Amino acid sequence: MPLLRNGQWVKQNPWIRLEDDEPLPQSNKAEVPVVCSLERYIALENQHQHLVSGIWLNAADDVLQLHDHVDHLQLVVVDFAVYTDGRGYSQARMLRTQLQFSGELRASGDIRPDQMLFMARAGIDSFEFSEQPDEKLIERILFRFTTNYQPSYALPIAG
Amino acid sequence: MYQYTEHDRSFLKERVAEFREQTERRLRNELGEDEYKQLRLRNGLYLQRKAYMLRVAIPYGLLSSAQLKKLGHIARVYDKDYGHITTRQNIQYNWPQLEEVPQILEELADVDMHAIQTSGNCIRNTTTDPLAGAIADEIEDPRPWCELIRQWSTLHPEFNWLPRKFKIAVTGALSDRAAVQVHDIGLRLVKNTVGETGFEVLVGGGLGRTPYIGQVINEFLPTQHLLTYLSAILRVYNLEGRRDNLYKARIKILVNALGIDAFRDKVDAQWQHCNDIDDTFTQTQIDELKAMFPAAPTLGTVILRNASDDTPETPEVNQPDQMFSNPLFNQWYQSNTRAHRDSGRRIVYVSLKAPGQPAGDITADQMESLAALADQYSLGEIRTTHEQNLVLAHVPVNALFDLWKALGGLKLATPNLGKLTDMIVCPGLDYCSLANAGTLQIYDQIYKHFDNLDYMHELGDISIKISGCMNACGHHHVGDIGILGVDKGGVEWYQLTIGGHAGNAASLGQRLGRAIAKSEVASAIELILKAYIELREPYESFHESVQRLGTTPFKESVYATAA
Repeated sequence: MPLLRNGQWVKQNPWIRLEDDEPLPQSNKAEVPVVCSLERYIALENQHQHLVSGIWLNAADDVLQLHDHVDHLQLVVVDFAVYTDGRGYSQARMLRTQLQFSGELRASGDIRPDQMLFMARAGIDSFEFSEQPDEKLIERILFRFTTNYQPSYALPIAG
Repeated sequence: MYQYTEHDRSFLKERVAEFREQTERRLRNELGEDEYKQLRLRNGLYLQRKAYMLRVAIPYGLLSSAQLKKLGHIARVYDKDYGHITTRQNIQYNWPQLEEVPQILEELADVDMHAIQTSGNCIRNTTTDPLAGAIADEIEDPRPWCELIRQWSTLHPEFNWLPRKFKIAVTGALSDRAAVQVHDIGLRLVKNTVGETGFEVLVGGGLGRTPYIGQVINEFLPTQHLLTYLSAILRVYNLEGRRDNLYKARIKILVNALGIDAFRDKVDAQWQHCNDIDDTFTQTQIDELKAMFPAAPTLGTVILRNASDDTPETPEVNQPDQMFSNPLFNQWYQSNTRAHRDSGRRIVYVSLKAPGQPAGDITADQMESLAALADQYSLGEIRTTHEQNLVLAHVPVNALFDLWKALGGLKLATPNLGKLTDMIVCPGLDYCSLANAGTLQIYDQIYKHFDNLDYMHELGDISIKISGCMNACGHHHVGDIGILGVDKGGVEWYQLTIGGHAGNAASLGQRLGRAIAKSEVASAIELILKAYIELREPYESFHESVQRLGTTPFKESVYATAA
C-alpha cells in the first residue's frame, strides 16, 4: 500500500498488520516485521516476550497504557476506522507530548488528503493509503499554510 | 478591538485558497459530497431546505464599521439584500450560490473576517457579553480572553473532529448576559479572596433535546492556565464523548453520565500533562491582546480634569436636556438604552424586531447606514447580541436624540428591547432542513396580536423564545415563555413552556400542557399574560411570578378557556 513517510514516498513498506487471531511469527523465522494490537502487545510485554516492536491502535485504545513501553517501540499505527472520528488526533498528540514517543507514528485506515495537515500537526509523520492518492494534491494540502495559530509540532513531513 | 497581524491575514488568504480548491474539486466531482460536506461545514457552508446557507463568524459579536459595511455589500451582491443575526452572535446569508462562496470568503478576508468553524463538530465561535467594556458591573473585559480562545481554537490540530459541536461562552460581568450556564463550557471571570483574577469554569450546560444547566468543574482557575485547562476538558471529551448516537454526543451527556466529580478527576489527570506549546500562552501575548481593547475615552463629568489637560471641551456641557421632553424618545431611551460606565455615554440597543421584519434580519441598506452611524456616534464599532439585536456601546449622551432619529429613519428604533415582541426566533421550517414547524409565522402572529406599545410596556420585560424543533436554536428552554414547534402527522403544533431563565440563576422552562394549534398560539400567550398581570406582586417579574406560583394558575388560564 502506498506509504508517505517523512515527506517521501516509500516503495517498501514491510510492516504487516497482525490481527489478534493470527499467530505471532516464529522466533528466528520472521521475514517481515509485524504490528500487533495494543492489548496483545501489553500482554506479551507482561510475559517478558519482546517479540514485536510495533503496534496498531484502535480509536478506543488508551495510549497511556504504553507509558512504560514507548522507548521500545519503533512504530505506532493510529488506525482511523472513519475519518470523522477524531480520537486518533488525541492519541497521536498524547503519544508525542505526554509520552515523548519519538518513533514512527503512522496513520492508516480512512485517511482523506484534506485531513493530513491536521494529522501531521498532531504528530503523525507517516501515512499509509489504501489506494494511490494524488501526490500533487497532497503536496499542496500539506504546504499551503505558511502559518498556524498553534506553533505546533514541527511539521515532520517537511523534512 | 483586535487588530489583525500579517500572520492572521496570510492565514486567512491561505484558508480561502484551500476552500476554493476544495470547491473546485467538488464541482469537478473529484471530491464526493459527503467528504466535501465536512469541509464546507468547517467553512460555514450548510445545505438548507432550498439553498446553501453561509454562516459568517462574528468573533464574540464584535464588528468594526468597515466589517459591517462589507456584510451589507455581501448581502446586496451575493444574496437577497439581507442577512440574519444568529443566537451565536454570527450572521447568516440564506441564498449564496455555491460557485460564489469562495469569492464571498475572499471579500470577507479583505476586512479580516471569515466563516471558519461556524459549523461542524469542532469548537464554534466563542460568544460573550455584548456590553463588554462598556457596562459598569464588569470585573474584567472578557474580549481579550475570547480572542485568545479564538486563535487557539482555530484549526486546532487535535480538536477539529469532536463527537459533536462545542460552544464556549465567556463573561466578565457580575450579571450574566452571555448565558454561560447553557454552554458546553462557560467561563466567568472572578476574583479570589486575595484579589487575583481567575475563571470559574462551568461544563456540560446546553439546550437541545436534553437540556442541562452547566456544573462548576473549577471554582477558580488562575487565568494563565486557561488554555491548558480547556485542552484537558476537550481531550477528555474527544476521547470519551459518545460517537454512536448524534443526540447523545454533546459533552453534557458525558458529564452527566460520569457525574461531575468523576469527570473533574479525568480532566485533572489530563491537565497534569497538558503543557504543550500549542495550548499555552505568554503573559506578553495576553497583555498585547488586552491593549487592543482600550476603554472608551471618558466623556462624563465625574472625572476631574487638570486645567492644563489638553482634552477638548467636554461635549456634555451642551447636553440637550430638551430631548427628554419628547415622550417617544423617552420611551425608546428607557427601553433600548442602558447606563454606560461613563456617565457621558450610553449603551444603545438597536432592535432588529421591527414590525413586519423577520426577527434578527437586517437589510443591506440598514447595515451600511448603521456602519456610518457607528462611525459617527460609537467609536466605529457594533456588537451583535445572542438575542439577535445589535448594540452601539459607546454613544455620547448628547448624541442620543440625533441617533434615535437616524435609527428611526432606518426602522431600527422600535422601543421593544427586552419586551414581548423582542423574541428570539430560529429560522424554522421555511429555511432549516431540521425544523419540524414554522417559526416565522408564529413570530408574526404574536407580533400582530400584541401590537400595542402601552400594553407591552405595562407588561414589562418578558422573553419569548421560539424554536422550530428539539434542537432548540431559539433557546426556548430559557425563555419566560418558550415555544417549541412539533410535527404531529404532518401538522404543525406548538408546545409551550414557562418559567425558563437565561440570566445569573439560569433555569429551564416547564411544560405548560398539551401542544397548541398553530392558529391559537398568540391567544394562549395572551391568557398566560392575563394570569400574570392579575397575579403578580408589584415589580414582580414574570420569572419570579412563575417561581412563586408554579405553573398551575397559568395552565388553568390557558386550558380552562380552551376547553
